[in-house]
Amino acid sequence: MSERAELGRPGIIHDLGYRRYDGRRDGTGTIALTLFTTGVRHVYGLGRSGKSKILPFLLLGMSTLPALIVVGVVVLTGLSELPVTYAGYVSQTQLLISLFAAAQAPVLFSRDLRHRSIVLYLARPLSAPVFAITRWLSLIVTILLFMSIPSVLLFAGALLAGLDVSDQTTSLLKALSLQVLLATLLAGITGLIASVSLRRGFAVVGSVMALIVLSGVVTAVQGISDAQDSEGVGVVAGLFSPWSLHNGLADAWDAGVSTFTPPDGAWTLAYVLVGLLMAAACGLGLVARFQKVGAR
Amino acid sequence: MAVVTGELIGHAPVIATAGLTKHYGSVHALTDLTVTVGDGVTGLVGANGAGKSTLIKILLGLLEPTGGHASVLGHDIEEASQDIRRLVGYMPEHDCLPPDVSASDFVVHMARMSGLGASSARERAADVLRHVGLEEERYRPMGGYSTGMKQRAKLAQALVHDPRLVFLDEPTNGLDPAARNDMLRLVQRIGSDFGIAVLVTSHLLGELEQVSDHVIVLDGGRLLRSSATGDFLKQTGNLLVEVVGTETQRDQLGEALAKAGLTCRPRGAMVAVDPPPPDLAGAGVAHDIIRDVAAELGLGLMRLQPDRGHLEDVFLDGGARV
Repeated sequence: MSERAELGRPGIIHDLGYRRYDGRRDGTGTIALTLFTTGVRHVYGLGRSGKSKILPFLLLGMSTLPALIVVGVVVLTGLSELPVTYAGYVSQTQLLISLFAAAQAPVLFSRDLRHRSIVLYLARPLSAPVFAITRWLSLIVTILLFMSIPSVLLFAGALLAGLDVSDQTTSLLKALSLQVLLATLLAGITGLIASVSLRRGFAVVGSVMALIVLSGVVTAVQGISDAQDSEGVGVVAGLFSPWSLHNGLADAWDAGVSTFTPPDGAWTLAYVLVGLLMAAACGLGLVARFQKVGAR
Repeated sequence: MAVVTGELIGHAPVIATAGLTKHYGSVHALTDLTVTVGDGVTGLVGANGAGKSTLIKILLGLLEPTGGHASVLGHDIEEASQDIRRLVGYMPEHDCLPPDVSASDFVVHMARMSGLGASSARERAADVLRHVGLEEERYRPMGGYSTGMKQRAKLAQALVHDPRLVFLDEPTNGLDPAARNDMLRLVQRIGSDFGIAVLVTSHLLGELEQVSDHVIVLDGGRLLRSSATGDFLKQTGNLLVEVVGTETQRDQLGEALAKAGLTCRPRGAMVAVDPPPPDLAGAGVAHDIIRDVAAELGLGLMRLQPDRGHLEDVFLDGGARV
């Protein structure tokens, strides 16, 4: 309609006509980096509506608050060690972390598919596999941030309270490396569920089932098998949930978590391998999903 | 079946396909398509399911062809589809806009996904949104847009990175007549003023008659015809005559013209006169005969015009050929 107005007034002063763009064009790497940072920001609701910031920051606040209290207590009372280990803290805020992953994965994996804007992305330089992996990395990093902010706060508190630096650093690094594996798995599983179910409600319920309910079942099986003195069953059961993999490895690695049936010897290696395989399967699944959608 | 359209003088064709074929199991979406597209606006016509969208997706590298080759802007679709996607814009047929984002933010983001830096993306997005005619509404979430505004936003994202070629898949779909004309005029401007080659699809032949320099007609995944729009619409040599009155007067005129040596037949309320035989083929001879015959019969001559072809005729001819 304004088109018509412009044609009617050809001498209009702001109409510069069409201008070509011959400036710089970024390579694929830079475009992927832009997609990655936009993804990280969007998960926390940054650059989106005010409403979409509420849930991620509420959950982040809830999972950080206990760490702040612990830091306060440690600094003021001068305890000789942290009342909770870094890996133990992650394990205890398991519910919040799972909820965060379940609720925010659809931001990166459902929206583009549901509104079909994925086609506009795939008609641009990034290919479907690069797009899927970049989205996955965005979600991994946001979940990792969610877990590691309390860890880093605890670490700062420990240093302020004058606890042994090398002990604390070792313990933090162990916890952080386990968090990397955990974040990769959580992002892969919730991302895959979100990219298939499309409706946010279904995606959240599906992810909650896969993370929280499954983890509860695994823990129950481990508890029973421990009580029945058949620990082998519990160790095997631990392979089936990212949380039991994380907790089992943390226990085996002496990172300050205790489980009913910690893996030992070759089982520890099996836990690591299964974790890596699960991550690879999630990555392949995401790539396959986006390639299929792109061809439609 | 090799046909060349477009102004190819001095540069490589914008699009060239050779024997392009795409089969989904037993469904033949495209069969042995060999066609060349040049600069300007090229219309791609065909009924729903004729293979228009399939062709665009293959050219974008989103679908793999079952057979054949194609190149876009000199890049092979199989070896350099990423290079192609840097240089082209794509406006899909279906809805593809997230409802909770403003057109302004969305177009900026899409510009960045095409490799423009943050500041040039903002500048280009503002420019292009003005060209497509999205004013203040660009700052509102796109979920509340009318179909016309959505089509404009879709077009803006296809143009924001200043492509050398845009694929517009049914840009007038769902628009009311006024918005449809606006969109067609815009498509024409993209091809002429903006200097961007356009491949625009439609299932309405009349639309493409108005805006495109060349037309490719697909039917059931096969090439029916590809040539300059002018060729489709060129004068057939027939004359159309209409006189005041009813069919009686029409038939009266027709019979008198036949007696005068002109072959003619009724067409609607008019008489269609075939190209005159050699002895009457001189300039204006047939016109004079028609004038005189009408005067003798005392009929009021209402219209006397050369007959032109229509794009629709291609389907009639094509149907006859197959």
